[in-house]
Amino acid sequence: MNRAEPERLGGVIRALLSHYWRHPWQAVFLLAGLVAGVALWSAVQIINSHARASYAEADFVLGAQASHWIRSRSGAGVAQADYIALRRAGFRQVFPVVQARVSTADNAPLAIIATDLLALPAGMAGEGGDAFDNASLDWQAFVQPPYQAWFPAAVASELGIAEGEQLALHDGRRLPPAVIAAREQQGRQIFMDVGAALSLLGRDRFTALAVGPASPDDVARLAAALPADLMLDANQQRLDLTQLTASLHTQLTAMSLLSFAVGLFIVFNAVRFSLWYRRPTLRTLRLVGVSVRALALAIVAETLAWSVLGSALGLLAGLGISHALLPSVSASLQNLYGAVVGADLLLDPVTIAIAWGMTLVGLAFALAWPLLLQLRGPVLPGGSASAGVMAEARARRVLLVGAGALALAAAGVYWQMGTVIEGFVLLGLVLFAAAWALPQALASAHRLLGRALAGAPLVQRWIVSDGWAQLPALRTAMMALLLALTANLGVETLVGSFRTALAGWLDQRIGADIYVNSAQLDTRRFVADPVNADWLATAHARTGVTIRWQGRPTKVYGLDITTPDTRALPLAQAEPDALARWAGGDRRILANEQAHYLGGLRLGQTVTLPTDGGATDYTVAGFFHDYGNPYFQFYLPREEVARRWRDVQSTGLALWLKPGEDNETAEAALVAAGAQPGEWFAQGDIKRLSMKIFDRTFAMTAAMNTLTLLVAGAALLTALLAILHERLPEFAQWRALGVTRRELLRVIAVPLALFVTLTWLAAIPLGALLSWLLIHDLNVMSFGWSMPMLWSPQPALKLGLLSAGIVVLVLMIVLSQLTRKLPQAMAQLGSAQ
Amino acid sequence: MLSVSGVVKRYAQPEGEVTVLAGVDLSIASGEAVALLGESGSGKSTLLHLAAGLDTPDAGIIQVGGQALAAMDDRALAALRRGTVSLVFQQFHLIGTLSVADNIRFQAALCGRLDAAFEAELIDRLGLATQLDKYPHQLSGGQQQRVAIARALLHRPALVLADEPTGNLDERSSGAVMALFRDLVKAAGSALLMVTHSRDMADYLDRRLWLREGRLHHEPG
Ligand SMILES: Nc1ncnc2c1ncn2[C@@H]1O[C@H](COP(=O)(O)OP(=O)(O)OP(=O)(O)O)[C@@H](O)[C@H]1O
Ligand SMILES: [Mg+2]
Repeated sequence: MNRAEPERLGGVIRALLSHYWRHPWQAVFLLAGLVAGVALWSAVQIINSHARASYAEADFVLGAQASHWIRSRSGAGVAQADYIALRRAGFRQVFPVVQARVSTADNAPLAIIATDLLALPAGMAGEGGDAFDNASLDWQAFVQPPYQAWFPAAVASELGIAEGEQLALHDGRRLPPAVIAAREQQGRQIFMDVGAALSLLGRDRFTALAVGPASPDDVARLAAALPADLMLDANQQRLDLTQLTASLHTQLTAMSLLSFAVGLFIVFNAVRFSLWYRRPTLRTLRLVGVSVRALALAIVAETLAWSVLGSALGLLAGLGISHALLPSVSASLQNLYGAVVGADLLLDPVTIAIAWGMTLVGLAFALAWPLLLQLRGPVLPGGSASAGVMAEARARRVLLVGAGALALAAAGVYWQMGTVIEGFVLLGLVLFAAAWALPQALASAHRLLGRALAGAPLVQRWIVSDGWAQLPALRTAMMALLLALTANLGVETLVGSFRTALAGWLDQRIGADIYVNSAQLDTRRFVADPVNADWLATAHARTGVTIRWQGRPTKVYGLDITTPDTRALPLAQAEPDALARWAGGDRRILANEQAHYLGGLRLGQTVTLPTDGGATDYTVAGFFHDYGNPYFQFYLPREEVARRWRDVQSTGLALWLKPGEDNETAEAALVAAGAQPGEWFAQGDIKRLSMKIFDRTFAMTAAMNTLTLLVAGAALLTALLAILHERLPEFAQWRALGVTRRELLRVIAVPLALFVTLTWLAAIPLGALLSWLLIHDLNVMSFGWSMPMLWSPQPALKLGLLSAGIVVLVLMIVLSQLTRKLPQAMAQLGSAQ
Repeated sequence: MLSVSGVVKRYAQPEGEVTVLAGVDLSIASGEAVALLGESGSGKSTLLHLAAGLDTPDAGIIQVGGQALAAMDDRALAALRRGTVSLVFQQFHLIGTLSVADNIRFQAALCGRLDAAFEAELIDRLGLATQLDKYPHQLSGGQQQRVAIARALLHRPALVLADEPTGNLDERSSGAVMALFRDLVKAAGSALLMVTHSRDMADYLDRRLWLREGRLHHEPG
């Protein structure tokens, strides 16, 4: 390269970029596409990697991640004296935990967790662990009356609690003064000192003692040292969160990649037109002797510049979006898996690098490649209008052939799909096969319509036939719209079906009037107490043990076979005396769907469970729905559980009231028996709460879907504005022929409306296919839940209206542009361009 | 048919305001064919645009068929252009998505004045009979221009405004098309105001005018 070259290169770059000065909206859209795609993708990446980091830290969560638990056999809690004795005996890794549920004055349930910070073993908090940073902690205030109640920021803002305020509870008690702290591992629980919790709750026993990291020797010594009424449990709840949540993260990633793809459609759109405008510039530059090499360098420089700008702005926007979406994602994670995700979001270098890389590759395909191809061609154009028409038809056919190939690949994947990732590959193949087939489908439909209109008045035929002039420009936007509509429909049907299934399941499963889960209540005594006989119709005291099955913590519930909920099980209805034989020990077992779909268990198969008396075989007699549970679960009769396991816990009490009795009687009786307010839920509250949790869990999905649709709307706008600019002289000429403004608007709007309608129609069966795959394959593979697919026309109609709204909005923008630019174009008619 | 009096048109240019038309007076009778000549940049196209109502003058009055353009709103102007005034430009902007036959009928269909006999005559004389089912992109430039001429004349507009209609064609075919154009305008019974650079072409018409320094002259400068 000689010395003049760099200077010349600057000039070349300036000449190439001057185009954006004259058509700034093209630059805006190019950037908007990049930013939208990168932002949505990176938002999910940021959230995902943040969640994974939180899981690693979750090992330090007090209590929940302890290696062992010490509980009382009676369920009455652990006496303070026992705790002190253990500490004195040198078990420094033992610390007290108080957990309780209370209700606020407005009846909102609130979880309280308390421990003795000073007793926490090293590594669980304090030094090294970031769980509780000492700097912000005022030890004196924390451990002395009036104490402190640490609220996670999100909970505080939900409850409207400010720093220093004392939250009033349902029964008039007040929490200690609030300290608002974004402490990650706290989740949605209110954290306080163990002394504060005991005095607040009026208890003198801890819920349990947690055991920090302990060697097997320590565990053995600890077990030997326990008094008779305490038992040591390995913490079976300790989960491999990363494994459990993998499916959810895969789903989020898949959605974000879809958004990125839709964003790229905008880029392709914007670039297509800027290429078209810049063809003459490139030609001129070559004619005046600029070398191909200098032009290539300039193109590469431009591509690099766009990629840096686009990914930088996109990442910034992504950070903003992830902040907005994080609450709903952490809600999903917590609701589904009990995983707690903190609030600090950071961009890590890997995400930055991948975002930039993807942008660069996208731009290389969309911008650099076609420009470089043009450089290799002859200096003077050989193309004609007729070549353009043929090239367009060829492009449609090539896309259709590609769509066929993708569809074949999809069929191939479908027959041997085993993992969630393969499932998403399948969905991607299906979606893109449909998108690529769309242009040809639109062209064919349009041709048919043209034939049907053959006898119609010329002006009508003209308006419809203009679709041929718009299709090349609208093609990409329609593909983006199809992707967005299909994804929306598919996911809406999934969520709708799930919601209906869940509501039905809750109705069926939550049959009792009150559900109690109390650490204090002596369940057996309460049920047997004659003072309760007046109002209590039936009670179901479930028992349970946690075992490990297939390497996962698994709950085995012991059911009372006489209660209405057990008698409603299909097993009971199959044969008259099935339940009696079951309780008698016929070694049959019921398993949740998760054990079927994820654990591979089949009806009639033998399942071997570890019991205190050794491995025991059971025959699988049926499966039950168990939505929202990430674990495997089994049902056995209560008698059978008591026969096989020694340390059986009480796992809740369901109460049926006699007709005419109201909940208050029952609640008063519960309080009298030692239960605390907040430790029970009325039937309606549970259902309402479950549905609320469900809706929050899927808020993220809805948000991503709306964003994707917006991105598709932006693609539509770029396409229409490009059409407007390309065809302005033509439109002016038509006006000169006496075409009215209204007719002109009709020419623009009718074919557009036609294509959008056809795309929408195509999205309906595709969305159904997508939801079918999501419900029957993806969902089962991800979560192990099945449900009937419930197709309703409502989402399709809603999306149809939304698309119509987008079209109208876009047309209004186009119309205002047209009104502004047409007079000028008409005045310049006939002058050489 | 067309009456222009005292028309002034100024444009803002980087070096200041430029008066392109400085008081133009012109009158064309029904069926009369007038050639408009002048150097490049003298304002010929500007005058044509004003006459078609595509642009508005800074001063002066323009009347078509006795009606002042200044008094017309957008819709009335559209109606004027669809039925009364036809424009033929160097760029013909045929409608690419319609067949040649439909393109020829387009403007007549807009104003509801289809005339099968005249259509057959135009097609025959313009030599388009074998092209009717084709689409514009399948025609040569000369053929496209002939389609544009047929389109402009089929509904027999009272006034045809043509701006170098054959500027895109080579000299020989341009001469042939020119002669045909004039004859067909006569056959349609329209008045014609045509901008041209060529003296030869101007000689085909009834009258010649030169635009110079913003005014019309009857003699070349
Ligand atoms: N929209 C406009 N804005 C500013 N100046 C204009 C505009 N349109 C025309 N002009 C100027 O008005 C003058 C006359 O232009 P016009 O196009 O009428 O010339 P013309 O006689 O048709 O020339 P040609 O024979 O080259 O077509 C020119 O100097 C031109 O620069
Ligand atoms: Mg001119």
